[in-house]
Amino acid sequence: MLQVSNKETRKFKIPGVIKKNISGWLIMAPTLILFAFFVWEPLLASIRLSLYSAKGMRTEEFVGLKNYIDVFHHPDFFPAVRNTFSYTIWSLLIGFLVPIIMAVIINEMVYAKGLFRVGIYFPNIVPGLATVMMWAFIFRPGKTGVLNIILGNIGAQPQVWLSNPKLTIPLIVLTMTWKGAGATALIYLAALQGINPELYEAAIIDGAGIWKRIVHVTVPNLRNLIRSLLILQVISVFQILYEPLVMTNGGPNNASISIMQLVFKYAFEKFDYPKAAAVSVIISLFLVTLTAVYNKFSKEQDI
Amino acid sequence: MFNIKSKDNGIITYSDLKKPSIRIFYYVLFAVCIIITLISIAPPVWVFLSSFKDIKEFTLEPSLIPKSFDFSRFVKTWNDLKFVKYYINSFYSVAGSVVCAIVFNGLLAYAISILKPKGSKFIYGLILGSLMVPATTSVVPLFINLSKMHLNGTFYPLWLSIGANAFYIVLYKQFFDTLPASIIEAAKIDGCNNWQIFFKIVMPLSKPITMVIAMYAVNAAWSDFLLPYLLLNNSGHETIMVRLFQFRTSIKATDVEVLRAIVFAIIPPIILFTLFQKQITQSNTHSGVKG
Repeated sequence: MLQVSNKETRKFKIPGVIKKNISGWLIMAPTLILFAFFVWEPLLASIRLSLYSAKGMRTEEFVGLKNYIDVFHHPDFFPAVRNTFSYTIWSLLIGFLVPIIMAVIINEMVYAKGLFRVGIYFPNIVPGLATVMMWAFIFRPGKTGVLNIILGNIGAQPQVWLSNPKLTIPLIVLTMTWKGAGATALIYLAALQGINPELYEAAIIDGAGIWKRIVHVTVPNLRNLIRSLLILQVISVFQILYEPLVMTNGGPNNASISIMQLVFKYAFEKFDYPKAAAVSVIISLFLVTLTAVYNKFSKEQDI
Repeated sequence: MFNIKSKDNGIITYSDLKKPSIRIFYYVLFAVCIIITLISIAPPVWVFLSSFKDIKEFTLEPSLIPKSFDFSRFVKTWNDLKFVKYYINSFYSVAGSVVCAIVFNGLLAYAISILKPKGSKFIYGLILGSLMVPATTSVVPLFINLSKMHLNGTFYPLWLSIGANAFYIVLYKQFFDTLPASIIEAAKIDGCNNWQIFFKIVMPLSKPITMVIAMYAVNAAWSDFLLPYLLLNNSGHETIMVRLFQFRTSIKATDVEVLRAIVFAIIPPIILFTLFQKQITQSNTHSGVKG
């Protein structure tokens, strides 16, 4: 018996290499199914959906680029694109430098460094929706708004804040910066702590003052990190959605509507899914192109 | 003020600080740090203070500090708005998400990092690639798929979607790469199969990174808003975030009630943060630089 079964198993024994691969793929399978379902399939489906007409959730017939043309001609499209660029530029002006400066200053501290680190990270744990609702109270026009209370205490006139079309976008960006800057600053802090102190010593021996040390040692050492965080920030700000949705609902008079908000409106207010897909494909195409160009450009700079 | 006895890193050196002008500049920087920290924590503190007011005091007497601290108002809003239910829903959503985030992402990273079946490099490339594609593209078709499968009003999509997180996979893979190969070989010789190696050897050795990912997942699931809103709105299973958004759209409530609701939404993450602040701030710096 024993001999027979031994023979049997030898006959049907699967080679070790294949066995190892099968078992590996079996372990990967559940997660890959999730990726296919939640990430990859919807991505391709989005492109397909944008080329079809649909009744509710059922796609009907191939219409080519009609959805794209309709989207382009919608009166909200141009303001949304302009505002999204405006968000991006403001977030680079305000949100990009703030964490770098915060990190450089905190890295210089001898006392209370740990306290500062925890303090600046704190806004990051406040849920995004709670953050924007909170700041809506702070920017509220009239005398109950926090900023107006503070202005009142120093004897200044109350402002309308978010209802002022010139201030809407910068104020929303300010809210995003409040939430995100601390977490980004911690990333820079880690990089700053990784700079070899001998570089600073060498700069000092060469007679470099504080400013020159920043320009010739600190900035070059942060350059790679700055480069990758810059594009990541542009990608995420470009998809801004719930900040304007909750704080202003795109107003006043479309002054803060973003492209992602168009997707939201098409899909979940008008239930026009193909047009929503068309807008999101436009966003993705733009961002993928931008990333590719940016990577090529920054690689050329390396040489 | 205070004396700095030594300073051995950073741009400004100890010898610079002997000059009075630089010393004053340094104190200014210290003040700037304090101001930044205050700005970081002031808004939630204000929300907390203001929610002690009643609606009359809030509208008629604009001030930053309330007249009295009456906790019974919190209790009343908690009961009026039936927050127990939303807390339970949110906890339910968070618990499932954390399990899925750890098991699914851990398994895939384990296969890529340790088992390395043929083609796993390509899979890792695909996963890194999906980090670059804007997440928002997939929201609409995903919602349509889920609706067709009648998964509206259930938590399964929320749990499972966090099981496909490229960022967590990168974190796990980087950690698994540092595990000594000899331990895994030893387990193999002792007759463990690949699943046993994962659950009995790899996961117990990976507690630090699992802690980090668990905390990220708790925060992400608690704060997540778009997918929960699309799936759970008006289903009776609303999470806290969906409930908060309803104040904006459908349900009327007084300002102070909204403020108290914000407090309720912030308290659990704050408790988590206070308990684990060291791990959270440190892991953030590590993951950031590597990822």
